[in-house]
Amino acid sequence: MSEQVIINATDVNKTFQVKAGEVNAINSVSFTANRGEVTTIVGPSGSGKTTLLYVVGSLEKPESGSIEVAGRDILDSGTNLVRYRRENIGFVFQFFNLVPTLTALENVMLPMDLAGIRPDEQRRRATELLDRMGVKDRLLKAKPTKMSGGENQRVAIARALANDPDIILADEPTGNLDTATGSTVIDILSSLARENDKCVLMVTHDESILAVSDRAFHMVDGQLSEIIL
Amino acid sequence: MRVFQRGFRSFRRNLVRNLIVVVLLFVCLTFSMSMLAVKLAADSQVQTIKQTVGNYAEIKISSAYQMKQFEAERTKTAAERSAEARSLTTAQEQADRVASLVPEKLTDAFAKDQYVKTYDKVLSTSVTLSDITNTNIQQLFQIRENNGQSAGGAGGGGGLGTGGMTSNSFFFSGNTNGASASDFTTGAKKLIKGRYFTYADYTNSNPVVMIEKNLASQNSLKIGDTIEATVSGVSGVGSTMELKIIGIYKTVESESQSKSSSSSSSSQADFNPAGSTFYAPLSVVQKLNNTAGYVTLGSYYFDSVDNTAAIKAAYKKDATGTTSKYQLSTDLSDYSSIADPLLKARNTSVIGLSGALGACALIILLAMVIIISNRTRELGILKAIGSTDRQVISQFAVEILCVCMVAIILAMGATALIGQSMGNWLLPKTTTKTTTQSSSSTPGGAPGGMMGNQNQLYKEGSSFTTSSSTQKAVKLNVVYRGTLFLYGILILVGISLVGMAIPVFWIIRLRPARVLSME
Repeated sequence: MSEQVIINATDVNKTFQVKAGEVNAINSVSFTANRGEVTTIVGPSGSGKTTLLYVVGSLEKPESGSIEVAGRDILDSGTNLVRYRRENIGFVFQFFNLVPTLTALENVMLPMDLAGIRPDEQRRRATELLDRMGVKDRLLKAKPTKMSGGENQRVAIARALANDPDIILADEPTGNLDTATGSTVIDILSSLARENDKCVLMVTHDESILAVSDRAFHMVDGQLSEIIL
Repeated sequence: MRVFQRGFRSFRRNLVRNLIVVVLLFVCLTFSMSMLAVKLAADSQVQTIKQTVGNYAEIKISSAYQMKQFEAERTKTAAERSAEARSLTTAQEQADRVASLVPEKLTDAFAKDQYVKTYDKVLSTSVTLSDITNTNIQQLFQIRENNGQSAGGAGGGGGLGTGGMTSNSFFFSGNTNGASASDFTTGAKKLIKGRYFTYADYTNSNPVVMIEKNLASQNSLKIGDTIEATVSGVSGVGSTMELKIIGIYKTVESESQSKSSSSSSSSQADFNPAGSTFYAPLSVVQKLNNTAGYVTLGSYYFDSVDNTAAIKAAYKKDATGTTSKYQLSTDLSDYSSIADPLLKARNTSVIGLSGALGACALIILLAMVIIISNRTRELGILKAIGSTDRQVISQFAVEILCVCMVAIILAMGATALIGQSMGNWLLPKTTTKTTTQSSSSTPGGAPGGMMGNQNQLYKEGSSFTTSSSTQKAVKLNVVYRGTLFLYGILILVGISLVGMAIPVFWIIRLRPARVLSME
């Protein structure tokens, strides 16, 4: 295994019970994702992309398989998944998922608050991250409803970076944005991977994103196949 | 600390939503706290009443027995009565003398009951004092003479005796300690000079007395002077006893009545007749009455009205075979007339309190269902970005606590304003009869003719005084007390815990992956 590999998923299976019966959302999926790279999974809606992302982010538990993150299997019973999520993962969602009652600054401070970082340090880091994401000062105290989609997503990326995780999991990060804004967000994510040595794992049905990806997979009916770029 | 800050911030950020819940809770909690205040006030007042009313009992001759004796006497002609009196032996005379009295053996035995807290014995009788004149009786005789009546015919309601009443007859009340005589404990009489006779005076049979101030003044008697009393039924040596005056009292009721009379009628402005009652140690009065070992009544305070049934059962056991002659009377009916309206208000308030608390619980539950379902995404986000269930639950707990705290603080304030009105509203509109003692003791009641006031208890003044009754409305004083504050905290914790049930259940079951995928 290369030193760059940070996610190593092997033979992962995940099924859901629905009225009609059992659905194999992820079917014997194995893949790796490297530090400092953008890894993209493309596929149609309902193909299991988001489920795979949530399994890696420990929001869903697979029936079988193993997922090693930085050499440690997160499916081991001894793993503290909340801590794992807090320290290793940053989520970016299609619908931003910012807390509507909090300001942009407070949303970015929230993960740090949960991690027990001092308030003044939270504020300093959150301001710095928002500045890096190009969020204007006047928006620091704005609530998500007062900001545009692009601004919301920048705040969401800043929040994902709050605890300096190794992995950024992005679920359709441009799905709710216009083309120009979406392109800016993708640029931010790819620069995070390359300049900050993060592993960005992105799922999307927008194949144009493949252009900025280092590795790419195609997912159909829960099965994954690598795309040669 | 951070959890508190986060929860409090969350409370502020969802202010409008939370304030709606606060208002709803405030209404219900105000009602709950008011009901609680009424309940606590009623409980407290009933407890206070229990300390003074309902825990008194006395053993005395039964009304039925007295009525029987009275009827037997009534059927006799005057000639039969005087023939009977002439033919009495000394033993029969003594038996007659104690016929209307209670043996001390019985009162002493009952005093040993576990529920009895304090005990006194009383003997009231008329005594002849050769050196001084009873101006009240003198005036009475004068009126009768003027009306052409014979002095011997008096009797009945007022308690005037028939046997040998003269203008030198005075009413003697004996008990074991002057200070604990009911006239002094009820405030009807007040010592103004000298001292009370003590328990030691009683045990040593010290010949000492307390005299009324006007009587003392009319007869130029002062502390340290002696008066000669005639011992009933004894002739020759030992037929008199020298009594030393150790205390002078005034009749408070008499003065206040005199004052109220003066405002309506100037001609009666200074009317305050000399009191004809002497207070002396029981053993001395027994000697003067020649009835050693007998008393008019045994007077008891027991621990609580709640033990009335037990104390009556204990009396029945002690008085086996004599229950038709003697009776144990309690002031249970006085207690009931005062406490029943309060207890009714208390019971109603308990029902109201239960209903209002139930409504509070329902409100907070429904409010939390609505709030939580509106904030499901926020919960999902918190869990997704690394918040533990405990952190999220704590944040909600603090938020709910803030909501409930604001509501209960406002409710406590409102309770202070409307508690009394609520109490007045719940209290049944009833009045209670309060018996008060009249102006002065009437002489010569016992043992000759004390039929008039059998149902009146000694502690209300005296068994041998006339009484006046007033109707007083029962009042419930709803005051803000510390206990209410403590109960308020308990309610706060209870309502908060109920409110937490929904979020705890929701947060633990929540799967962020489901929530975050939703648009």
